[in-house]
Amino acid sequence: MMHFAMQTAFWSLAALTIIPALCVVNARSIVHAGFWLLPCFLGVAGLYAALEAHFFFVTQIMIYAGAILVLVLFALMLTRNAMDPGAPQHNRLRPAAGVICAAFGILASYTLSHHHWNLSTALPGDAQTQTQALGDALIGLYAVPFEVASLLLLSALIGAVVLAKADRGPTADTPALADLMSPSQPAQSDHERIGGH
Amino acid sequence: MELSNYLIVGAVLFAIGAYGTITRRNAIAVLMGIELMLNAANINFLAFWRFLHPTSMEPQVFVLVGLTVAAADAAIGLAVVLNLYRDFGAVEVDRADTLKG
Repeated sequence: MMHFAMQTAFWSLAALTIIPALCVVNARSIVHAGFWLLPCFLGVAGLYAALEAHFFFVTQIMIYAGAILVLVLFALMLTRNAMDPGAPQHNRLRPAAGVICAAFGILASYTLSHHHWNLSTALPGDAQTQTQALGDALIGLYAVPFEVASLLLLSALIGAVVLAKADRGPTADTPALADLMSPSQPAQSDHERIGGH
Repeated sequence: MELSNYLIVGAVLFAIGAYGTITRRNAIAVLMGIELMLNAANINFLAFWRFLHPTSMEPQVFVLVGLTVAAADAAIGLAVVLNLYRDFGAVEVDRADTLKG
């Protein structure tokens, strides 16, 4: 009975991850694709919980479902009229890429399910032990990778600010971002300008 | 549940992310595909940690660094997309072809 419950939980979480992921890459509307990321990230967080990685269950929700998703949605809103909604959302590689990626998924699934793993019988510690051990590792043996990661985050922060703020002034055919975002400008002219290319 | 089931979910998620990265025309959708692939890699790390080395902390440190890289990647990538939009008035990746020979 317990085994059956675990099976059901696992396959529901797998479906919660895979089906929204398919919607993300196939949705016609880019905003819908952005919102489909949310159930996908939550499904991954559920898989982490099933793997007893308690710290990463929380981190996944905070970083992916919180920060990265909001960042993606902000970028979507700031560029909302950039693409003609009637234009194709996929390039001409779509059939070939579909076949190759499906073949990769099927082949990898087949190989992985037939491989024999040397499974460990040990059990991971509870949430407190695990998180404490991770914290100890991050300020002990793995202090250098931890600091490098923080440097990477700092440089990404500064780089993103510099890139996003670089004000080169509007070019001949492109108004500045602030003009595009002001409500006084009718959406129609936006559309014509971009559709003209 | 078995290790191979988690690895299969990871592999399928990676294939979907790769498909999105290759075929999407909108640069933000390409970034979404990359995020899916990074998630698949993290699922694999944690599945191997749970079933092969549950008492060791290396895989968890890898996942933490991977999360950091994903966050930095999203921030820089979206800043680049905003600049692309400002300079070309477009977010299609095939419009950024100034360096194409």
